[in-house]
Amino acid sequence: MSRPSRRAGGALLVAAGLGAATAARAGSPALDYALNCQGCHRADGTGTPGSVPALAGSVGRFLQVPGGREFLVRVPGVAQAALDDAALAGVLNWVLEQFGGDDVPKDFAPYTAAEVGRLRHQPFTNVQRARAELLGALERAK
Amino acid sequence: MIDGRAPDRGWIDRLVEEASRQLARRTSRRNVLARIGMALAGGSVLPLLPVARAADDGRPSVPDDAQLSGEVGDPKSCNYWRHCAIDGFLCSCCGGSQSACPPGTEMSPVTWIGTCRHPGDGKDYIISYNDCCGQSLCLRCRCTRTEGEKPVYLTWRNNDLLWCFGTSSRAVHCSVAVVLGVATKS
Repeated sequence: MSRPSRRAGGALLVAAGLGAATAARAGSPALDYALNCQGCHRADGTGTPGSVPALAGSVGRFLQVPGGREFLVRVPGVAQAALDDAALAGVLNWVLEQFGGDDVPKDFAPYTAAEVGRLRHQPFTNVQRARAELLGALERAK
Repeated sequence: MIDGRAPDRGWIDRLVEEASRQLARRTSRRNVLARIGMALAGGSVLPLLPVARAADDGRPSVPDDAQLSGEVGDPKSCNYWRHCAIDGFLCSCCGGSQSACPPGTEMSPVTWIGTCRHPGDGKDYIISYNDCCGQSLCLRCRCTRTEGEKPVYLTWRNNDLLWCFGTSSRAVHCSVAVVLGVATKS
């Protein structure tokens, strides 16, 4: 008997099948969130400190500084999600509605499919630096 | 001490005796039986009332596996319906269940989520594949179902990764398949 490798043995995992991908494209923003985001960011958007950034109490703040609106589309998890532009815009708006709270500026215009389609094709070369710069701008704006 | 308690005991005895006699004078055995019957029947109806249903609203709708026969209804089988895209050791074979970690392990809050179709009702259910962490590999009921798996550079669609994040230990023991809800289409 061969001992399973650590890589293969420990893994879990899914890989949502073809049926899942179809459902995600045809689903509501809530279902799209469940299938594409919730596994890491959790159902309540609290994330996991040290591993996964929280959305709740955080995601809306990015809209308060220049570049933040674009950042939320260009981060890898969003830009590379297995969702078309319209569904991705829908789930982004849903996330801001659910977890943005009072942080979302009153004049916020919801994302459109066209905007998301344009931004998601401008990936970051250093997403951590981009995030740190935005958080720094938020601190200075206080 | 005994002497001190004696008067109290007598007083309680008299009270209970009097109450019992009064109860016996006012009620018949048939009456008591009828009331017990009503209590039993009423108790069985309570779970159907709106209050009880409201309390269940937050829980996912989990289909009944009893109607399934063979491996597709067996949580210890790789062919169990919830395991349509699992890769790892089944916690059902490792001292846990299809939705609970074995004692001594901790469920990772970071997880892969997909859907599996229940062969009984034909609905797609949202399944969360969580690793249970904190002990060495279970090595029982090894399953590899990779329908829809993508290469590792698409990490969120690849199931060869370890997913003990946010846990005190990164050691993977086994995996569960928790039903989160129905993947209803709007």
